Amino acid sequence: MFGEQQRFMLFLIAPAALLLGLFQVVPIVIGANASFRDWALYNPKKTWVGLDHYRAVITDPAFLEVVLPNTFIFMILSVAGSLALGLGLALLLNRPFRGQKIVQTVLMVPLMVAPVIAAIMMRWMFNDQFGIVNAVLEGLGMEGQPWLVQRWTAFGIIVLTDVWLWTPWFTLLLLAGLQSLPKEPFEAAAIDGTTTWRVFSHLTLPMLQPVIVVCVVIRAIDAFRTFDIVWTLTGGGPGRSTELFSIYAYVLAFLNLDLGRGSASAIVGGLIILVVGVVMYRLVDRVTKS
Amino acid sequence: MAMVREPLLFARLPVGGRRLLFGMALFAICFLFAFPVLWLILTSLRPESGVYYVHRGTEFTLASFVEVLQDERLLQAFFNSAMISTLATIFSLLVTVSSGYMLSRFKGPAASTWFGTIYVFRCVPYISWVIPLYFVAQSWGIYDTYIGILLPHIAVHICFFSWLMKGFFDGIDPSMEHAALIDGCTRWGAFIRVALPSAIPAISALAVLCWLFTWNEFLFALILTGNKVPMVTVVMAQFVTEMGLRWNLMAATAVMALVPAFLLALFGQKYVIRGLRI
Repeated sequence: MFGEQQRFMLFLIAPAALLLGLFQVVPIVIGANASFRDWALYNPKKTWVGLDHYRAVITDPAFLEVVLPNTFIFMILSVAGSLALGLGLALLLNRPFRGQKIVQTVLMVPLMVAPVIAAIMMRWMFNDQFGIVNAVLEGLGMEGQPWLVQRWTAFGIIVLTDVWLWTPWFTLLLLAGLQSLPKEPFEAAAIDGTTTWRVFSHLTLPMLQPVIVVCVVIRAIDAFRTFDIVWTLTGGGPGRSTELFSIYAYVLAFLNLDLGRGSASAIVGGLIILVVGVVMYRLVDRVTKS
Repeated sequence: MAMVREPLLFARLPVGGRRLLFGMALFAICFLFAFPVLWLILTSLRPESGVYYVHRGTEFTLASFVEVLQDERLLQAFFNSAMISTLATIFSLLVTVSSGYMLSRFKGPAASTWFGTIYVFRCVPYISWVIPLYFVAQSWGIYDTYIGILLPHIAVHICFFSWLMKGFFDGIDPSMEHAALIDGCTRWGAFIRVALPSAIPAISALAVLCWLFTWNEFLFALILTGNKVPMVTVVMAQFVTEMGLRWNLMAATAVMALVPAFLLALFGQKYVIRGLRI
C-alpha cells in the first residue's frame, strides 16, 4: 500500500505518535467529555449538563479577576525578567576573561535545581520570623515584611523564583546564539569606532533576534502553565490571590473534587494558550523568514 | 567631525581599577545566583537548635542528614526518582531521535502534519491532560505504578525533544546519507550508521536535559502517584507542610536531592553547551 519511503517515515514516528495518542490525545478527549457532564469525584452521575461548567468558569470572578490577570502578569514579568538578565549575562560571558569557565558554571546552578527545591529555598529565605532576608533588613534598621502572606510581595517572590530558575536557560541559548554570529560586521564596527551601545542596538540585537524570539516563545508557553513553584511557595494563597491557571484547575478537580468543572477550566486555559501559541508561531515564522 | 565625547567614568579608571571593578561585579553576580543554594547547604548543616538563626552561631553537624537517611519512605523516593529518570531518558531518546530525524529529512504533507501536531501539543498545558490522565490511569490499572509514571514522562518530552532534534539534524549535512544510500545502504542503515553518530553531541545534551527534567518534575508525580511509588519532589513538598518548622531536615533532604542533579550537570555541562550550539 505504501511506498518504501512512506513506510520508513511511518516507522520513524510511530512510537512517538502512539505514546502521544495514548497519553495526551486520549486524556484530552476524556477530559473534554467530562467537561460537559456532572462528574463529581464522590458522585459521578455523568449526566449531560452542556456548557454549564464552561459558563461557571468564565463567569467566576476568581477566574476573571484574579487567576487570568495573575497568569498573564506572571508570564510577562517572568519572561521579560529572565530575558533581560539572561541577555546581559550572555553578553558578559561572550568575551574571554580569566575565570570565565568558573563564572559560567556558577551561573548555570539554577538550571539544575528542581523548581520545588527552589521554592522551598525561597520560602525559607523569606520566612517572616527566621528568614535571612528579614534578618538582613532588620540588621540594616528596616522593618521585616511578612513576605508570603501579602498578595503582591508573595507574587513578587514567585516571579523572582521563576526568573532565578530560568535566567541560565536564556543565558545558555543566547550565548550559543552570540557565538554563532559572523565576526566581520563587528570587526568593521570596531574599525569605525562605533560605540558599544550602537554596536549592541544596531548589530547584536537585530542579528540575535531570531534566537531571542524562539526562546521567548518557548518560555512564554511554559510560564503559562507554571504549577510547582506556586504550589510549594504559597499554595495559591494568601486566600486565592496568587493562584495561576494550573493551580485553579488543580484545585477544582482534586480539592473540590469536581472533575467536570476542573476539566472545563483546564480546557478554557488550554484554548487561551493555544491562541497565544498560534499568534506566536506566526511571529516566529515571520521573523525567521525575513 | 566626530564629536569629542567625555569618556565614561568606567573608561577613565586605570586598567587595574577597571579589572578590579569588573571582578567585583562578576563576584557579586555569581554570589547572588549561588546564594540560595549556599544558604540551603548552610541550613542543612546546622543543628536543630541553631537552625532558626543560621547567620549566627558556629555549630555545625551532619545529624540532619543522618536523621533524614533513616526515613525509609524518602530512600524509596530517591530510588524511584532515579530509576524513572533513567528509564524515561533512554526511552524518550529512542522515540524522539527518530521522530526528529523524520521531521528534518522529509518534506511534504506527512512531515508538516506531524510538525503541526507536535507544535499544538507542545502548547497544551500539562494540567489539561494530566487531570483526565488520572482517570485513564486508574481505569487502566496503572495509577501509582512504575509504568503509570514512566509512560507519561516519556510522552511529555516527545513534542519538545522532537522539535530540538529536528533542529540538530537540520544542522547536519544530509549528503553523507545520500552517498550511503547510493552505495546500497538501506534507509535504516543511513539513519543509524551515518546520521546517528554525527548527532551524538546533540543526543547527549538531550539525555542530560531529559534526566534533569524528569528528576525535577512535580505535577505528574503529584497527580499520578500515591503511597506505593513515592517520588522525591512530592515527598519534599509534603515535608514542607508536615515537618512544618523543622527546616534543618527540610534543607538536608533538599540538598540530597540536589546532589545527583549537580553531579550530572557538572559532568554533562560540556555536552549540553556543545549540543545546544549545533
